[in-house]
Amino acid sequence: MKPTLKSRISSSLFALPYTLCFAAFLLFPICYGFYISLHDFELLSKEHPFVGLSNYIAIFTPNSYENSLFFRGLWATIQFVIFSVPLLIIAGLAIAMLVNALPSKLRGLFRTFYFIPYALSASVMAVIWLMMFDTNAGFLNSMLQKLGGQSIPWLTGTPWAWVSLIITTLWWTIGFNMIIFINALNQVPEDYYEAASIDGASSWSKFIYITLPTIRPVMLFVMITSTIASFNIYAQPFLLTRGGPGDTTRVLLINVLDHAFIRKEVGSASAMAIIMALIIIIISLVQYRLTYGRKEGN
Amino acid sequence: MHKLRKALLIIVAILLAAVMLLPLVWMISTSLKNDFEALAGQMNFIPKKPTIDNYIQGLNGELMNVPIMRWITNSLSIGIIGTGIILLIDSMAAYALARLQDMMFRKILFSMFIASLMIPGVLTFLPMYMEFNGLGLINTYAALILPYTAGAFGVFLLYQFFISFPKEIEEAARIDGANKWQIYSRVVLPSSVSIMVTLGIFTFMGIYNDFVWPLYAATSPDMRTITAGIALMSQGSYTQAYGKLMAMTTIAALPVLIIFMIGQRFFVKAIIQSAVK
Repeated sequence: MKPTLKSRISSSLFALPYTLCFAAFLLFPICYGFYISLHDFELLSKEHPFVGLSNYIAIFTPNSYENSLFFRGLWATIQFVIFSVPLLIIAGLAIAMLVNALPSKLRGLFRTFYFIPYALSASVMAVIWLMMFDTNAGFLNSMLQKLGGQSIPWLTGTPWAWVSLIITTLWWTIGFNMIIFINALNQVPEDYYEAASIDGASSWSKFIYITLPTIRPVMLFVMITSTIASFNIYAQPFLLTRGGPGDTTRVLLINVLDHAFIRKEVGSASAMAIIMALIIIIISLVQYRLTYGRKEGN
Repeated sequence: MHKLRKALLIIVAILLAAVMLLPLVWMISTSLKNDFEALAGQMNFIPKKPTIDNYIQGLNGELMNVPIMRWITNSLSIGIIGTGIILLIDSMAAYALARLQDMMFRKILFSMFIASLMIPGVLTFLPMYMEFNGLGLINTYAALILPYTAGAFGVFLLYQFFISFPKEIEEAARIDGANKWQIYSRVVLPSSVSIMVTLGIFTFMGIYNDFVWPLYAATSPDMRTITAGIALMSQGSYTQAYGKLMAMTTIAALPVLIIFMIGQRFFVKAIIQSAVK
C-alpha cells in the first residue's frame, strides 16, 4: 500500500520542530561563519566589506599579528593535548581496573567517589582549584609548608602552570573515561581469562594479550573524545592561569575568542575558528579511520 | 596472599577517593570560615569559628551587588525550559525517524543529524553569537536556551530506543483507531520513561553547567547564569575572598550534585550510550 500524501505530511511534521532548530542553530551558523570569515567583520561597525580569503591568508603570512596569535595559541593547545591525553587514557583505564578489582559491594561506592567531579561545571571546578592552588593561602602550599617544603608557584611559574592545568583536568574529567572503560572491561568474555589461566598466563600477559586487544575500539573512542576535549580547553587557563605566565598557557580558544570579543575582529577570528574546527575534524577522522581500517583488516 | 592483595587494593582505593573528594570537602569547609581564617593558610577542615554569614550575605545579594539569587533562578530556568523543549522535539523527531517510514527526506535528514555529532562547537560559536546579536537576543533567555536545541545526541539516543520498540503494541493501538500523535503520546512516550529521564538528566546538567556560551551570550548583571557569574566573581571583586567565593561555589554546585547523586544510574547510561555508536 502506497502511503497517502496526507500521511507523509503528518509523519514529516513530527520531525519538523527539531529540523527547524537544527537548521537555525547548526546549519545556518556554519554557513554564516564561512560568510563572516570572508569579510572584514568588525564587531561594532555597520559596514562589513568583502575581503575574499585575506583573513585566511593573514593567518598563514609569517610574522603577521594573526599568524603569531593563531600559531602560538595552537602550539600551547597542542602541548596541552600531548601532556594530558596519555594521562587521561592511562589513569582512566587504571582507575577502571582498580574499581573492577574491588569487592563487588564496594564498587558502586568508589565509582561514585571518582565520578563526582565530572558532574561539576567547568567554572565551579576552576574556582575550587583557584583556591587550592593559591600561592599564599592555598591548600597545596599550606600542606607543603607543613611538610617543611617550599611553596610552589602553581599558577604563575613554569612548568607548574601546565602541571596545575593537567591536575585540574584529570581531577575533573577522569570519571568519564573511567565509566567508559569499566563498561568495556565488563564486556570482555570471562572464559578468555579462564582459558588463559589454564594455560598458566600471568596477570600482566592477560592484560596485554586479552584485555587490551578486546577493548581496542573503546580505547580509540576514549582517545578521540579526550583529544577533542583537550583541544577545546578554555576554562582552566582562562580562569586559573589567565594564559600565564607570560603567554605560555594562552591556548588557541582563548586567542580566538579574545580576538573576536576584545579586539572585535570577528571576521579574522571566524577564519581562525574554522581552521581550528577543521583540525579537530581531521584528527577525529584519522582516528576513526584507524579503528575502521583495522576492522577491515581482520 | 590473596587477602593481603585485597586489603592493599582497598587502601589504594580509599587514598584515591580522599584525593578526589578533598577539593570538594575543602570548598565546603572554606565556605564556613570567615575571610580572615580562609586566608590564614591553615589546613584545618573544621573551622575554628564556623559561620554561615557567607551564605546569608551571598544569598541576600547585598554583598558587592551580586544578585546571586537571580543567577540561580536564571540557571535553573534555562536548564528546565531547555530540557523540556529538547525532550519534546527530540522524541518527536526520533519517533518519526525510527517508526514513520513514510516521513519525507527521512534518510538524508538522519545522515545529516548523525554527521552533525562530529562538528566541534568552535565552528558555530562566533556565528551563533552574531546571529543572536543580529536578532537583538543577546541577554535574553532565548539566547541561553535555543542553541542547545540543535544538538543531535538526544535524537540519536531516542532513535536507538524507539527502533527496538516492539511493533505489536503500536499495531494494536492503530487497529483501535489511534492516530500517529495518539500512538506517540499515549503509547510510545509512556513506555520510554527511563530513556527520557536519562536524556533529561544529561541535558539539564549540560545546560546548567555550560560555561563559555553564557559567559558571552548573557553579559548584563541580571541575565548572568550562576556558572558564568561565579567565574567572573573569582576574577573580579571576590578575588581572594575565599570564604564568600566558596559559599557561592557550593550553592552553584548543589543542584547538579543533588541530581547527580539521585540520577547517577541514568547519567552513566547516557555516557555509555554515547560510546556505543
